Amino acid sequence: MEIATLAPLLVVVLFGALALGLWVGFALIAVGMVAMYAAAPAPPELVFATKVWGGMSVWDLTALPMFIWMGEVLVRSRLSSDMFSGLAPFTARLPGRLLHVNVLGCALFAAVSGSSAATTATIGRMSLPELKSRGYDDRMAIGTLAGSGTFGFLIPPSIILIVYGAATEQSIARLFLAGVIPGLMLAMLFGGYIMLWSLMHRDRMPEAEPRVSRGEAMSAAARLLPVVGLIVTVIGSIYLGIASPTEAAVIGVIGALVLAQMTGALGLAGLFDSLRAATVTTCMIAFILAGASFLTVAMGYTGIPRDLARLIGEMGLSPYALLAMLTVFFIIMGMFLDGISIVVLTVSIILPMVTAAGIDPIWFGIFLVLVVEMSQITPPVGFNLFVIQTITGRDMFTVARYAAPFFGLLVLAVAILSVFPELALWLPGTMLSR
Amino acid sequence: AEWDMPTPYGDSVFHTQNIMQFAEDVSSATDGGVEITVHSAGSLFAHPEIKDSVRRGLAPIGEVLMSRLANEDPVFGVDSIPFLASSYDEGRALWEASRSAVEEKLAEQGLTLLFAVPWPGQSLYTQEPVESAADLEGASFRAYNAATERLAQLMGAVPTQIETGDIPTAFATGRVDAMITSPSTGVSSQAWDFTSHYTDTQAWLPKNMVMVNTEAFEGLPEEQQTAIMEAAEAAKTRGWEMSEAETESGIATLEENGMTISQPSETLSNEMSEIGETMTQEWLEEAGDAGQAVIDAYRNSGS
Amino acid sequence: MRRFLDRLYDAGLWLSAITFGLIAVLVALQIAGRLLDRAARALSLSPPGLTIPSLAEFGAFFFAAAVFLGLAGTLQAGGHVRVKLVTQALPERVARWLGVLVALAAAALAVFATWSSALQALDSYQFDSVSYGVIPIPLAIPQGVMTLGLALFAVALVDAAVTLARGGTPGHLAAEAATEEGN
Ligand code: NA
Ligand code: NA
Repeated sequence: MEIATLAPLLVVVLFGALALGLWVGFALIAVGMVAMYAAAPAPPELVFATKVWGGMSVWDLTALPMFIWMGEVLVRSRLSSDMFSGLAPFTARLPGRLLHVNVLGCALFAAVSGSSAATTATIGRMSLPELKSRGYDDRMAIGTLAGSGTFGFLIPPSIILIVYGAATEQSIARLFLAGVIPGLMLAMLFGGYIMLWSLMHRDRMPEAEPRVSRGEAMSAAARLLPVVGLIVTVIGSIYLGIASPTEAAVIGVIGALVLAQMTGALGLAGLFDSLRAATVTTCMIAFILAGASFLTVAMGYTGIPRDLARLIGEMGLSPYALLAMLTVFFIIMGMFLDGISIVVLTVSIILPMVTAAGIDPIWFGIFLVLVVEMSQITPPVGFNLFVIQTITGRDMFTVARYAAPFFGLLVLAVAILSVFPELALWLPGTMLSR
Repeated sequence: AEWDMPTPYGDSVFHTQNIMQFAEDVSSATDGGVEITVHSAGSLFAHPEIKDSVRRGLAPIGEVLMSRLANEDPVFGVDSIPFLASSYDEGRALWEASRSAVEEKLAEQGLTLLFAVPWPGQSLYTQEPVESAADLEGASFRAYNAATERLAQLMGAVPTQIETGDIPTAFATGRVDAMITSPSTGVSSQAWDFTSHYTDTQAWLPKNMVMVNTEAFEGLPEEQQTAIMEAAEAAKTRGWEMSEAETESGIATLEENGMTISQPSETLSNEMSEIGETMTQEWLEEAGDAGQAVIDAYRNSGS
Repeated sequence: MRRFLDRLYDAGLWLSAITFGLIAVLVALQIAGRLLDRAARALSLSPPGLTIPSLAEFGAFFFAAAVFLGLAGTLQAGGHVRVKLVTQALPERVARWLGVLVALAAAALAVFATWSSALQALDSYQFDSVSYGVIPIPLAIPQGVMTLGLALFAVALVDAAVTLARGGTPGHLAAEAATEEGN
């Protein structure tokens, strides 16, 4: 079948299946089946299990349930609510106040987790109920979480940079370093937007928290210590060489369990309850990942992503025009496929044209991460949306609407990075030049 | 015929470039009768899935690292016995001695071997110079399969499992002190970012194999089969040359980027041949008579 | 029958949860072994080198097995996400029968997945396929667990369709309603 007819057909099938209320993972499998029958020489029943098994039996994925479990333990032990009351006095004068917690929390958590879904699930599970109970605007709380959750990919360690580095023979050490400053920049953009928004929408901000004395502020700060200690332990375990980034997630679980035990708020029932909740969230994410891996191989057979990328290559664009075109391409692909799949499917076509245009491959890795981050919050296929739908019960399209400003900020970040490539390249150049 | 070909490594790796050329050769020799689309870097099927995908007909042709199959049959691990064949000449002789045994094992699975091309020799990457095995005593040594684990043990080091993507972090944070890999991989992973010493042991030359699904292959017209076999022969010759050139250029790149390059000391060489002898014996215990025949043929070939 | 099925889904979910817990325990042991090595080196003793062989492979297989075992229980817990904007706007009767159709479609896909997985497990068994790492693990074992989990998922989806068609409320709808009330 011609791509010009197949591609729209697949889009119709996906939207149709989702609109009828089919579960996301099944919708992806259904689209994959149509693509396989239309364009693949191989039998779908043999390809399906091969890819789904290959996509699920991946060691790095084991960090996902661990981090989510850690979040569930913290929520049940009231350590997370302690953290919010501890932070409140310090953010009292900052426009936007506790709304910044999502940005800060995700940025910190991203330093231990390589995945956006884990970042969103863990931080969101703790922050959303707290923000809600304190009267913060729902749309803003959800939007900041959806946006900041994507930091998981940009701030090292990062699954997507490992995939890109392995496929293109780029130094993973350099890619990781290159992500640090753009990650901080993005956090500042998000923080700046929250401040602006809160100054313009004073009516939608909750009443100021009662003023506290210095002594009360100090005792509030003391309540922050356990969780700060936990974060320091997890990050420290990686940088002291005690644990790999994947293993560090388990240190997080153990630490959370120890803290919860010390505060005496968890108990055996809480332990099992938290594990069960983490299992449900993990199975949800993993089932969609499984569907995505089948759809990815089907798309590989159809050749649609390759042909579209090749089409862009044949346009003979200037570097800026090429980047603009690629951004549009990735945004559109990112609506339907998960970000890592897009990188895997297109990188071998796109990288040569990018380097031919004189663009640094390390810089391009960071560009890719930003566009992949966008794909996390664009419907209908966006993992941060799925995670937040699970936490809040809000529909993924609604969540996507709340996240739209942050999508805009990601586009802005791409523009800034294109004009000032040094933001990505300076750190690896300084730290690793010989 | 339009063939999808999954391969594990990225486009800048010489194996992939060789295969791209092979695909072009096949296309022109068959006047477009057989068009091979190369899906590099595991973009269609990932490395662990490739062999079974070809066997089950999900892709008619594919590339895998031969020693990845060593758990299926010891013969696939013969090119990964350290210090048994540690130069291109020896590697060639070992391949001649083992090729028919490998082909036989593949044929049992309905697979036909087209060609095999070695990686440059596996050498030591460390933070500190290595004069003898004593320098590695108690060090964490990266092991990724049974053979590298045994090698680490015999050198007195502690075998440590590190996933590929985790290597730079593991070196930087001290979870691992030494690894053994080719100069190509050293260059592509920019090993100078996290190690400083390269000891040119060239302990073994692991090979990548390109194989086809026999049924798909025999379904082609006779002249197309011949064209593919000829292209494969050319790819083999070209691949071995590329590999040898890559060894020198790779080591030169490592040096340019500030790594200290050294030849193994006499002590280390002696210790290594002893380890090689031990590991060959251990391999023979596993591989039985078929293995003995391979080793005998190799030893009698004069290498 | 009702109670038996519910218990079956729940048992799958608990097996899944325990498997995730097992991964945590294994990783913790691995880290402990590494700390022991460090301590030994600090005291100039030879490091004992206690590691869990093939941990990355075992962990990966445990992960996959756990995910598939937990799929049915996750459905019952309302965990799998879907779009409800359109179906919410439909009249009750229409929504119910659409729900039946969608559950049946999902069940058909789950049956396909089960069959595909069974073919793979059988193939691995016939060819004695083993994993690549230090310990050769027969792939048919974890792939068999994957098949079982998918089969249980298919049963749960048929169950949901039948319950809906009979005018009842399947587990996933009850759970989804509970989540929405909570927020
Ligand atoms: Na990260
Ligand atoms: Na998306």
